[in-house]
Formats: sequence, C-alpha cells, structure tokens
Amino acid sequence: MTPSTATPRTGRLRRAHRGHGIDHVFAAVPTAWLFVFFIAPLAFTVVYSFGHAEFGSVTLGFTLANYQTALSGFYLTTFLRTLQFAATACAFCLLAAYPAAYFIARHAGRWKTQALVLVLVPYFTSFLIRVMSWQILLARGGPIEFVLNLLHLTNGPLDVMDTQTAVFIGMVYAYLPIAVVPLYIVLERIPVSLIEASRDLGAPPWRSFLHVTLPLSRPGIATAVLLTGVPMLGELVIPGLLGGDRGVLMGQAISAQYLDSQNYALGSAMAVLVLLAVAIIVALLARLTRGFAEVSA
Amino acid sequence: MSRSAPATLGGRLGRGALGAWYGIVVAFLFAPIVTSVVFAFNAGTLGKQSARFTGWTLQWFGVAWANTSLRSAIATSLSASFWSALIAVVIGSALGYALVRHPSRRVRALLTGLTYVLLIVPETVTGVSLLLFYAVTNVPLSLMTLVFGITPLAISVTALIVRAGVLTLDRRLDEAAADLGANRWQALWFVVLPHLAPSVGAGALMSYVFSFDNLVVSSFLTTPQVNTLPVYLYGSLQYGPSPAIYAAAVAVFMFTMLILGLAALLYRLVQRRAARPHR
Repeated sequence: MTPSTATPRTGRLRRAHRGHGIDHVFAAVPTAWLFVFFIAPLAFTVVYSFGHAEFGSVTLGFTLANYQTALSGFYLTTFLRTLQFAATACAFCLLAAYPAAYFIARHAGRWKTQALVLVLVPYFTSFLIRVMSWQILLARGGPIEFVLNLLHLTNGPLDVMDTQTAVFIGMVYAYLPIAVVPLYIVLERIPVSLIEASRDLGAPPWRSFLHVTLPLSRPGIATAVLLTGVPMLGELVIPGLLGGDRGVLMGQAISAQYLDSQNYALGSAMAVLVLLAVAIIVALLARLTRGFAEVSA
Repeated sequence: MSRSAPATLGGRLGRGALGAWYGIVVAFLFAPIVTSVVFAFNAGTLGKQSARFTGWTLQWFGVAWANTSLRSAIATSLSASFWSALIAVVIGSALGYALVRHPSRRVRALLTGLTYVLLIVPETVTGVSLLLFYAVTNVPLSLMTLVFGITPLAISVTALIVRAGVLTLDRRLDEAAADLGANRWQALWFVVLPHLAPSVGAGALMSYVFSFDNLVVSSFLTTPQVNTLPVYLYGSLQYGPSPAIYAAAVAVFMFTMLILGLAALLYRLVQRRAARPHR
C-alpha cells in the first residue's frame, strides 16, 4: 500500500514497481471486456433514448419526446412509485438489519463469523426459491394466514398476494441479508473505547449510541443503501411473482417496452431515468460519507 | 474486551432484545427457504401446488425430470454458467490483482469504480441494454451472447474475492522472487498464483453460482432455443405455482449449496494461510 519510493531499491525492483507489461495487461483486458459487454450497451441505451421511436426500430436523432412521454402520465406515476417504493423498502431493510448487525458485532462474541454467515447463507441460495415461496406463504389459506388467525391478529382469509404489500415484503426479505454485511463491518470497526469514553463522561446508553455509534456507522449505512435501495429501483422478478397486475414498477415497465411494445426508444429513456436516479443516489451517499477514508467496505 | 460493557440490568435487557431480534431476522430469512423445500414434497390438490400442505410425495421430482424442456434448460444453464465462470475467473482474477497492485493510483481508482458500478446498476437496465446492443450490432442471440451478457457480473464478483486474497499477500514474496532472478511472469506464475489459488477457486465457484442463478439479465437474452433454468422456472411460475417447479428448484438448490460449501472450504483455507505470515 505504501508508495514504492519509500525505500531505496535495486534497479530490478524499482523497474518492477514502476509498472510492467503485466500490470497493463491485467488492467486493460478486464477494462476492454467490460467496455464491450457493459459500458457500450449502456451507451447504446443512452443514444437510443434520444432517437425517434418507430415500431420495433428506432431512427437515430435527437429528440426529447421519449423523455416527455417517460415523465408524464402513467410512466411518471410508475417512476415516482418506484422511487418511493425503493426508499421505503430500503429504509425497512436498514431498520431491520441494524440491530441484527449490532448484535453480531457487539454481542455474538466468538460466534461472530458464524452469526454473520447464518444471515448470509439465504442470500446465496437461489433467488427464485426465496421469492417464489412467498406465493405460498402469503396465499389464502396459506401458512401466514394460519399463524395470524391462530394469534387472533387477523380473522378470516388473508388478502395480500398480488398486492403492493406482497411486493414490499418480498423486497425487504430479498435484500435484508446484504444490508447486514456493511453495517456489521462498520460496527465491528468502531473501537469499544470510544463508547466507553462517552459513558465515562456521563452519557446514557442511548446518547452514546446517537452521538458516537450512529454517526460513525454512516459509511456502513451508505453502503447498505447502495446494495439494497439501488437494485430495488430496477427490480423485476419480485413484483412479477408477487405483485400481480397491480402497481407496476419501473423494472416491469422498461421490460414491457422492450419485449412487448417494442418501443426501444421509450424503454431506453426510462432506463436512462433509472440510471440517473442511481447516479444521484450515489452522489448523495458520497456526500454523506465525506470525510471517511472509503465508502465501500 | 467483551466484558467491558457493565452487566447492568438495562444492559442485559438490551442485549437480550438485540439477540431476540437477531433470532427473528434469521427465522424470517430461513422460513421461505424451508417452505420451498417442504412444498416440493407437497402432494398438492388436483396436480397443482396448494397453500395448505396436503401430504408427502416424491412424485414431483419424477414429473420435473420427465419434462424435457426443463431438462434442456438445466443443460443450457450448466454450460452457460461453465463458460461464464471460466471467462470470469481469468478476467476477474486479473482485475482483482490489478485493483490492488496496479502501480498507478488513478488506474486503481478507475478499476475499483468500474467493479462497483457493475454491482449497482440495476440488472433490468443492463439486460435491456444488452438486448438492444445485440439487436443493433446484428448479432443473433445464442448461447454465447447469453454467456457474454452475464460475464460482467461474474467478473466483478470474482474480482472482489481475488482482491481480498491479494490484500493478504505479502509483497515481500514478489520481491524475494525478483531477488532470486524470476521475471514478473515467473513470479506471478510460481509464487503469486499458488498463494492465490484458494481465492481464485472460491471466485470461480462463486461466479459459477452467480451465473447459474442469474435471472434478470438472462431473461432478456434467452430464446425458445436457448433457455436457462431460472428463466424457465420464472416463466412457469407466472402461471401459478406448480409442485414440479418447486421440486426442480429444490433439486438445483441442493446442487448450489454443494458448490457453495466447496467455496466456503476454499475460503477457510485462504484465511488459515493468511493468518500464517503475520504470526
């Protein structure tokens, strides 16, 4: 990590550290590959979003008509609904993940790693398995209805499947594990001595949490938002399986423009809007964590 | 250190509440997985999945296996994720190494940015962009266009795992190799790579699992001829849950768990090795 000029070296070593063909190959090959299969396609989308739409094709040009459509009526509602949806689901993820991460970092003792792995294992099992079982869990006459009726929390059939509530539950569920990790990493790094110092100075536990722990965990919170809220903006599968036809989100709306309506220009404009939202969120998060050495865990 | 928190009643209550919440979170995370596994054995009603468990049966595994389009989807998935993991392990390992060791700080920052951007751009956007890209460049969709489309994600996953491995490597190893007359390629091949082997292995397995499980990007790049398992299952699920779909998904889930177990073993090997030189 230290600069290579820190100590005098022999000629051979200095040459090795100044950069070598290998270093350039190792940087250039991945960059080239990702340029072709990631950056270039995104660039095509940006270019097409300014094109003139025809059925199944686009005449290149410069028009803002697609953006006008994407930002009016049904499409605007969808966009705003998606933003709001991602914001709330992400907030719920953080609220649920924070205490769990705190417990792992502070109270799990020598079982720390195991406790973290236990939360992460579900994330690495098949995405489809995790989402599809909610079709059963939330169905009428399903297990959750049974439990809720048993506890007298509800009476009669549960009407949650194919609603936004179902999508919301699915989203929080799917992204919860990945919110725990950055929070855990950052909480684990906060020295206990800082909290002890605030306690010694007479702060009650809630104050030392509010004024010491919480501000210091900002980078973890930012990364958690990055890993949960941002992918939620384009989520396609969860609303597809749990949401029915009600309350379409951006992911489905974009996909429909490409696969059904064949309006590539409008679909591209909507995709660019999502990318813009992502960029704005990233910029805001970078501001939030300014002063910290690194945003990422 | 851990005993430093005063064991007051309030402190113990707080700890208990946190522990209880952790327990609830874990239960919440596992309940749907257990449900999926159990309902793969559900007899169902009238050949359909039912919300209430109606009895144990193994028949759905047979039904799933008899479904030829499902079987061909599995074959496509296996080969697509194999190629994707192969590309990812070569390119992702190079990227992971460059993320830490490239001499220029600016290049390192650029590569790091690229790696993270890959992980946060919503997959739907990536998927439609690739579809558009192939359409515009007149490349017909095939197994290889699918593989290439899912490689960026696999590459970034591998790169992050290998990066973690490179961070634990002692730079003096390279210098010792250079002192002993090895050129950079020889040092990489005979000194660095053997030390990174567990990370590279774990990266390969993880990228395999990620590619195998990929649904969103794949759903835009599959065709009736080239259909992967998650896309096929997703398509079937939109007509309502069927027990055979659950059986297929659960069988694949077991397979994934096996691979992940292997990856975890490799990862522990890395950590044990990393612990050694610092002693």
